[in-house]
Order: sequence, then C-alpha cells, then structure tokens
Amino acid sequence: MTMTHPGLPMAWGISVCLFMALTTIWFFVRSNAAAVSSTRHFDLMTLPVIGSVLHYITTHNWILIVLKLVFAGLFLLIIWAGLFGTPIAERNIATVFTWNLWWSGLIVAVFFIGSAWCAVCPWNSIARWLVHPRLSNYKFSNSLGLKVPKTLRTLWPALWLFVGLTWLELGFGITTDPYATALLALVMIIITTTSMALFERQAFCQYFCPVGRTIGFYSQLAPVELRPQSKDVCINCTSLDCYYGTDKISPCPTHQVMGRMTQNTYCLSCGNCSQSCPYDNVTWRLRPPSAEAVQDARPHWDEAWFMVVLLALTSFHGITMMPFWENWMSTIARTIGDQGRLLVSFTIGLALSLLLVVLVYLAAVWMTKYLCHKTTTFKSLFSQFAFIALPLAFAYHLAHNLNHLTRESVDIGALLTNPLGTNTLPLTMAEKHDRMMDMVLAPNVLFGIQAGLLAFGFLISLLVIKRRSVNLISLDETNQVYLLPMLLFASVMTGAHLWLLMQPMVMRL
Amino acid sequence: MIMHKTNKLLFLIALFTIELFTLKYAHAHHVLGRPSYSLNEDSNTPPAIQMETQIGDYLVNVMVFPAFPQPNEPGRISFYASHLDTAIPFDGNITFMVSNNSWMNWLGFESLKEKIGVQKIDDNVYRQGFLFKTEGDYIITAEFHAGGQPYIIDFPLRIGARAPIGALGITVSILFLILASVSLIQRKRAMTGKIQNTHEQNNQQGKQL
Repeated sequence: MTMTHPGLPMAWGISVCLFMALTTIWFFVRSNAAAVSSTRHFDLMTLPVIGSVLHYITTHNWILIVLKLVFAGLFLLIIWAGLFGTPIAERNIATVFTWNLWWSGLIVAVFFIGSAWCAVCPWNSIARWLVHPRLSNYKFSNSLGLKVPKTLRTLWPALWLFVGLTWLELGFGITTDPYATALLALVMIIITTTSMALFERQAFCQYFCPVGRTIGFYSQLAPVELRPQSKDVCINCTSLDCYYGTDKISPCPTHQVMGRMTQNTYCLSCGNCSQSCPYDNVTWRLRPPSAEAVQDARPHWDEAWFMVVLLALTSFHGITMMPFWENWMSTIARTIGDQGRLLVSFTIGLALSLLLVVLVYLAAVWMTKYLCHKTTTFKSLFSQFAFIALPLAFAYHLAHNLNHLTRESVDIGALLTNPLGTNTLPLTMAEKHDRMMDMVLAPNVLFGIQAGLLAFGFLISLLVIKRRSVNLISLDETNQVYLLPMLLFASVMTGAHLWLLMQPMVMRL
Repeated sequence: MIMHKTNKLLFLIALFTIELFTLKYAHAHHVLGRPSYSLNEDSNTPPAIQMETQIGDYLVNVMVFPAFPQPNEPGRISFYASHLDTAIPFDGNITFMVSNNSWMNWLGFESLKEKIGVQKIDDNVYRQGFLFKTEGDYIITAEFHAGGQPYIIDFPLRIGARAPIGALGITVSILFLILASVSLIQRKRAMTGKIQNTHEQNNQQGKQL
C-alpha cells in the first residue's frame, strides 16, 4: 500500500489564484519606467556584532576546514553505510541523509544562505585533498592544470548530468537503494577528482556539477551576496589577487573577478577572495531576493537552456510523486510492450515532460517575437526571458520539498546511533503513519508557506517579464500586448504547479 | 546452617525478582507459537521484495520470500495476476525462467534463460520455489498466455549481499590510476622543462663567448 500526503486545500488554491489575478492587473497598471531601478544593498559587515563575526569567519580559513572535515566525514560514513549497511532504505543513513535530508534541505538552505553548500561540498573537498594534498592551499599540486576545451566551457554538461541524475533518482529508484546511493557517491568522487587532476582550478564545479549549477542559479534569488565593498577599490586594483590568488590563498575556483561580479551563479562562497583581497574589500551583503534574476544577471544561451530545463525537471519531480504517475507509466508500458522496471517507459515519460515545458516556452518566445515586431533576435528573447523560469522553478521546488522535509520526519538519533541499520526491520504501516503525523510544522502553517511560495514565484516572474522586456523591446506604455505570451507562460506554469501541490503526494520512504 | 540456607534462598528470590523487573527484552525463539528453526520460505512471514505492475489486461503482483535471499537457502516467488476489469485471477500455466542480470542486458544483449518451473494456480496464487547456489543479480521472467496474447514479466532478484569491497576496490584503483598517471605526466613535463632551460642557458653562454 502506498502512503500519500494530503494536497493543498482548495481555499489556499483559490487564494493563490486571486493573488495571481490581482498581480496581473497591477502588472498592466504599473508603469514600465518604474521597473527600472537600482538594487539596494545592506552591508552585513557594518553590523556591530554580526559584522565582526562574519569578518572573522570569512578571513580565517580554519572554520571552513573544520566544516569541510565534518561534511567529508559524514559523506564517507554515508558511503560506508551504503556499502555495508542494511538494504532497508528507511533504516540506512545513506539513503535517509542523502535523499530525505540533504537533497530536500539543500534547496531550502539556498533560500537563506545562497551557495554556501558549495564551500563545504565533500565531493570537492575530497577531490582537492587527493589532488592538492594540503588542507588550505595549492603548494603541492598533482593537477595538469589544462584549460577546459572550449566546447565543454558551457553549462550543457551540467544540464545533461542533471537530467541523468533525475533519471537515476526517479526512474532507477536510487533513492530507495542504499548500495546504489553509495555507488553514486563513489562515482561522483571519481568524476570530481578526474576533473581536478586534468583541468585548472575547479572546472567540475564551474561547468559539470549539476548540483552546484542548480544551487548557483537558485542563489540568484537568495537574499545574500558576496561582493566588493567599494567598486572604486576594485577598479584601481592592479594585483587582482581575487582572480590570481596569492602565495597562500588559492585563486577564485571559477575564474570570477570580484570587481566585475554581478551575479551569484558561479560563486562557490569559498571565501578565497575575501582572504586574498589586500584591501579587505570583500563583504557579505543583504539585498532584495530576486534582484539578480530580475535585472542584474546577464543572459547567456546555455544558461537560459539550463534554467528552462531546470523548471521542466522541477515540475517533473512533482509529477512522478503523484498517484496517477504509475497509471501513466503502465499505459506507456502497455503501448510499447515494456516490462520489468519500466525504465524505457520512464525515459519516454521524462523526455515528454521536458519537451512539453520547453515547447511551451519556445512557443511563448516565438509569439513575443511575432507581437513585438522588433529586430530583437529569437535567441536574445529566449535568453532574456529564461529568467522567468527561475522563480517559478525555485518556488515550486521549495514548496514541494517542504512536504518531504516536514511530513517525512527522520529519527536522526536512531540513524546516528545505528547508521548501518544493523538488525533493523522495514517500517511498518503504523510507523509510517506515525512519521507522517509527526509533522515539524502545523499543517496549516505548511499550507500557508506553500501557497505563499507559489505567489512569490509568480510575482517575481512578473517583475522579470517587466524589467527584461524594457531591455529588449521598448518603453511604450500604451501597448503591452507583446508581454502577454510570457505572462501566459508564467500563469500556466504556476497554475500547473498549484494543481500539482493540491494533489495527494506519494511518500518518498 | 539453616539460617545460611534461608539467606541463600532469599538472595536468589531477590535476584530473580530484580531480573524480572529490569529485563527489557526477551530473546523469543518462537514466532506465533512455532519454533523459529521451523520457519522456511512457506512460513507466514513478511515478504521482502514486492512488485506491482499492470501489463496488458492484467494487474500483476509479485512477492519474494525471504527478505534477502541467500545462496543455498530456499526461497519462493508468489505471483498473483488478476484481470483489470473483472478482477478474476488468471487461471492457466505460468512458466518461470531465470537469467543473469548483467550490465550487458542494459546494452540490449539478452542472457541465456533457464527454466525453473511451470506452475498452476493454487488458491489464486502461483508459487515458484527457488534455490540459487551462487550469489549475484538475476532476472526472473514469468511468462503466460491469455486472450491469445503472450505476457512476459521481468523483475530483478538479488541473491546474497553485494560485494562492497569490489566497489571500494574499483574506486580506489581508478583514483590511484588517475593520480599516478597525472603525476608521471607532470614529472615528464618538469624534466622536459629542465632540459629546455639548460639548453637555452647553454645557447646563451655560447653566444656570449
């Protein structure tokens, strides 16, 4: 028997629809010129106590090293438990920590601390200790330091790896197999180490890592950023220690120059820049969430594709956890004569889901181009408006993951005392029921947050449409018809996500 | 002497009472009134692997006992197939076959199938016993004909625990190979650099002279 979580009640659904209707009216009433504004920031380092603490953390390496050691230790424990522990997924720390806590919690963490996870990521830490066997700097290097071939210097590798990871997660069912989870972890170490041994800096993090790139894009919507305190200092800087590094501090792992940074996408929050800057000019700042997606981030063709596919994959995650998904799979399997684990049927389902969202987006871009009668190219419209996908994907991803995090409680104490799940039995239906009822948040609070997130995502997508269209099309106040296709796209995606949230969702473990 | 015996008796009673109250777990060797050593694949124990799927006009449910089948230990497959519309169980012969589940199967190469039995319906269930001598990943195939259509259902079966040292060994070997190769290339590079430098220095000295 399959356990399901209840969906969002109708009242919340209607509230979100009302909000969407009101914001759409506001969207047309609001002046185009008002969309253009400079982003306001607040320097966290100027705060009395917090500022000093933050300054100490960002300029002293030992705290980061301790955190890296803790997470690497936990990661190795997960591999050990996966290989030697019980095959019962809900009793093994490998599956529970990886898929129930880390995979679900990671997206929630991005909302508050941006790409901080990348700074302590165990894949990178272990690879680095193997290739550059010192904890803090690059004194000894066992890397060839080659430049990444030009064809790979895009986000396409990360995008395909992300599709592959989704296939493994939802199709192959790696989330319920501790051994396969451990194998995946080992494969990730091999890939990261190989990349670091061959290429300069952290090419894997910059171009190939599906998790890192997802975090990178989502952190465009985070309320924190690592930026220069004064741009003038950076303009007059001749040493560029943030980019080249120093004798003791490594250079920026993703080739970022602090003075030119306008987006979080490739920042790994490693703190190298704040440690190497001779003028102590790097700081953590607060900003309005979404400022970057709305106007600061620069559009690129490959990045645009990544964002659109990210939106499609996020929706697909939700679809596969619906009770009707199994029937769909059976129908496809019956049609094509698929058997066993129905992997071919799943692959077809995944491809169709991705294709559907991509086609809808392409149609919206094509209609915008048709309506605006301007010389703007299809490619540039596609790249600029792809930022709409980001808040839509992030809002639904968060709302969906909150279900996992709050409704599928994990007995962390029992897992830490018996990480391998030795001599344990599968969860009984009563235990599953108990877990589902033992919620971290009250049901209504959870529903409120989920509805709020969808509304937030829709609002940000409207701001993106408004602001990005000013760049591309015109500041004509009277004729805004050309914005309709993109508005329709945002409404359809939010509507689909709302409907998915209102359905009962299958419990993961 | 009598006093001594009484004390001993009292001490034993007290010890027994304390033991009785402090014991949290009892090591039961009976399950539902049956001695545990008499449990086998036909006992009323929870299933391990359960699979439910729809194929053609039938809803198929497969259970495998015991939870984690081991080599040289008997196990059993319970196979249920009922019509989607009428819910009437399929009544006929079902052939069970086994083949190796290797990574070659992923590439489309089919392993040789070996028949393990043909079963008739028994109380709405088709029961197929098995005993594997070697551990490994297998594919069980259940095949039957209904309404003039062939039905073939494949499902994976793992016998014995997977070899964790194999995965770790392969990973460590690959990592060692990569790092050693890179180190060798770097040494070669360094040596070439040194030779080039010396050559250039000699050339410059020659010019000065």
